[in-house]
Amino acid sequence: MKSLEILPWAADETELMRDDLYVPEYIQYIALAVLKQYDFSVRCMNVVATKPKKGGAIWKVETSEGPKSLKLLHRRPGRSIFSLGAQEYLCDVKKARVPPIVKTKDGQKCVLAGGKIWFVAEWIDSLTPAPPDLEGAKQLCYGLGEFHRLSKNYQAPLNAEIASRVRKWEKTYQKMLMKMDWFRNIAKAYNDMPASEPLLQAVELFEPHAKAALEKLQNSPYRKLLQYEDSHWGLVHQDYGWSNGQLGKGGVWIIDLDGVSYDLPVRDLRKLISGIMLDSLNWNTDWLRELIRAYHEANPLSKELYEMLMIEFSLPNEFYRNVKELGYNPELFLNESTAAMIEQIIQQDKTKWPALKEIANDWKDVKTSK
Amino acid sequence: MRVLMICTEKLPVPAVKGGAIQTYISGVLPHLSFYHEITVLGIEDPSLEKDEIRDNVRYVRIPGKIFDLYKEGVIKFLENHPDSFDIIHIFNRPRLVLPVRSLATNARIILSMHNDMFHSEKIPADEACQVIEEVESIITVSDYVGYEIKALFPQAATKLNTIYSGVDTERFLPGNDARMENTRKKVRKDYGLENKTVLLFAGRLSNNKGADRLIRALPILAKKFKNLALVLVGSNWFSENHVTDFVAYIRALAKRQAVPVITTGFVHPDEIQNWYAAADLFICSSVWQEPLARVHYEAMAAGLPIVTTARGGNPEVIIEGENGLIVRDPENPESFAKAISQILSDKTLMKKMGENSRKLAVSLYKWERVAEDILSVWE
Repeated sequence: MKSLEILPWAADETELMRDDLYVPEYIQYIALAVLKQYDFSVRCMNVVATKPKKGGAIWKVETSEGPKSLKLLHRRPGRSIFSLGAQEYLCDVKKARVPPIVKTKDGQKCVLAGGKIWFVAEWIDSLTPAPPDLEGAKQLCYGLGEFHRLSKNYQAPLNAEIASRVRKWEKTYQKMLMKMDWFRNIAKAYNDMPASEPLLQAVELFEPHAKAALEKLQNSPYRKLLQYEDSHWGLVHQDYGWSNGQLGKGGVWIIDLDGVSYDLPVRDLRKLISGIMLDSLNWNTDWLRELIRAYHEANPLSKELYEMLMIEFSLPNEFYRNVKELGYNPELFLNESTAAMIEQIIQQDKTKWPALKEIANDWKDVKTSK
Repeated sequence: MRVLMICTEKLPVPAVKGGAIQTYISGVLPHLSFYHEITVLGIEDPSLEKDEIRDNVRYVRIPGKIFDLYKEGVIKFLENHPDSFDIIHIFNRPRLVLPVRSLATNARIILSMHNDMFHSEKIPADEACQVIEEVESIITVSDYVGYEIKALFPQAATKLNTIYSGVDTERFLPGNDARMENTRKKVRKDYGLENKTVLLFAGRLSNNKGADRLIRALPILAKKFKNLALVLVGSNWFSENHVTDFVAYIRALAKRQAVPVITTGFVHPDEIQNWYAAADLFICSSVWQEPLARVHYEAMAAGLPIVTTARGGNPEVIIEGENGLIVRDPENPESFAKAISQILSDKTLMKKMGENSRKLAVSLYKWERVAEDILSVWE
C-alpha cells in the first residue's frame, strides 16, 4: 500500500465539499485496499458519515458475510488502539451490547493505512432510537450505567496511548473559567454585533458560577477518589446520547466508541442529563431524580460520586457548550438568534438552581466509596 | 569515552521536525563527537535511516511516540550492547534511568532535565528518589528547572548543574548584518512591513504563551506609536485542519485591530532566522512557569531587544535594562504595552539593547560553550 498520509479534507476547495458525505478519492482507494485484508467480498459500500475537519469517515459495507461498518478513525493511531481495545474487551470479555469487531484474514482487529487506524465491525441493523420521553431517557441512563459498570478495569494494550481524564478535572474547570474571559474579550472587540451585549451579561452571570464550581471541586472528595487506578472507574463514552445509545436486542446498544477515555463516570451522566434538561426547557426535579435513579440501578453511585455529579451540574455547561465555538466566526455567530439563545439559557438557568438544591441531599444516607 | 545519548520518544534527532531538546542535542553533537565516541539512540522517522553513521556519530533509531513502547526499545538495545558505554546520558526522561541502570550496572548515568518531568504527576516519588540516587549528575536548562527539582527532592541539590542552551550565532544574525540585509528587506517587502516597527512573537499559539495579551496590548500601543505591526510566528495559525480554540480566539481579536497582525503559519526550522532578522523588537509573552524558552537565545543572536516575562527560567538570560525588560504581571496586557513603550520611545536605548543582546549571545550562548559545559560534566 502506498504510504499516503490521510489528512482532514474540510479545507479542500471543491464543489464536492457541499456534499456532507464527500470523501477524497485517495481515501476511497485506501478504503478498498483495507477491505481486501478481510475474509469477505464486498458487494457495495456507501459513506454514511464523515468528519471532514478531523479526517474520519464511516462506510456501510454490504459483504458476502452480511452488512458491516468500515471506520476510518481520525485520532492518532495509539489513541485509536486504546478505544479499539476497549470495544473488544467490552464485547468479548464483558458481553456488552457493542458492535463486535471483525478480524482481518491475519486475525488482527484493525489495519494501519495512510497513517490512521481502520477497522470493520458488525453492522447492527435493528437499532431504534429511544422514545423522546421520560421512559426513553431513563432507558438511556440505565444503558449508560451498564456501559460504565462493564468497562471497569479495562487494561489497554501496550502499544496504546492511554486516554484518561480522571486526573484532569481541575484543568477542565480552569479552562472553562479561562474561556469566560475569552468570550468577554471577543464580545468587547465586536461590540457592534447584536449578541455582544447579551453575551457580556451572560459572562457576568456565568463566570462566577464557573469559579464557584472550581472552588467546590477543590474542596470536594475528588482528591480522595484519585487514590484509585484510573481503570478502577471504567470508561466514559464522551459522546453518549440519543444517537450513540439506541435500543436493540437485549436493551441499549452503544455505538461509536472511538472517543472512550478513563474518567469518573458521572461526567457522561451529567452530559446526558444536562442535554435532556436543556431540550425540555427547564430543570424538573422529578425527572432529575428519576434519571439519576435509573442510572444508579445499573451502576450504583457512591456518596462521593453523587457529590461530584452535583458539582458537575453546577458548572455553566449549557451556556459554555453553546458559545464555545464563538471564536471561529464571531461576525456570523453574534447575530440576533444567538442573542435569543443566550437569553433563553439565562432564563433556563434560573430553574436549575432550585432543582439542584432540592436533590442535593438525596444521597446523604448512601454509603461512601469502598 | 564511549557515550550513549538517549533522546525522548517524541521527536527525531537530528532535529528535522524541530523541538527544543532535539535542537539542543543537534547543536552540541558536532563538538562532543570530536572528543568522544558517541551513539545517539532516538526514534525513527521516515526521512532518516534506522542505523547510520553520520558526521562521526552513530545513530540508532527505534519506534517511539508512546513512552512504554520506546522504553521497551531502549531496553532491547542495551541488552544487545552489554558493557558498551562508559557514560549514558539520558535526556528528560527520568523514567528511563532505572531500566537503563538495571542493564548497564557499570556505566555512569547523566540526566539532562528540560522541564518538569520530576513532577508527581509524571513520576512516582519513590522512583524519583531512586533515580536521583542512581544518576551522577543532573543537568538542567535553567536554574528554575533545578529549583523545582530541589523543592520536591532536596537530596538532588548536590547533583544539579545548570547548563544554559545555545544558538547558532552564524545562522541567527542581526538584520543589519551584511549577510542578512537582503533577507530583512525581502521579508519586510513580501509582508508589507517596509515602514513598520515590527514586534515579533515566536512560539506555539496557545494560552500558555500569551499571544492574546500582546494583541490586546495593541490598542494601547497604537495610541502612542504609528506604523506598528505585530508578527506571530506560530505553526498552528493557518492550517484550517487544526485550528484550536485558542487560535480561533486570537484570530477573532486580531481581525479587529487597527495595528496589522501578521501571521506566518508554519515556518520551517531552517528559515526561522529570517523572521528574527526582519524584526525590531522581540517579545516572549509566556504566562506559564516556563523552563526557559529557546526563542530568547535566537532573539539575542539576532540582536533584538527583548521583552520577556517573570515566569519560570525566562528572566535568567535577560539583564534588565541592558538587553531587555521583564514584565512581572504578564496576565495584564497593559504591562506589555508599558514595557514595549519604554523601549520604543527611546531609540538610543533600543539600539543599545539590541547590540548587547548580540554580544551576550556571542559570548555566552554559542553551542561550543554548551558542549564544553557538558564535556566538563562528562570528564
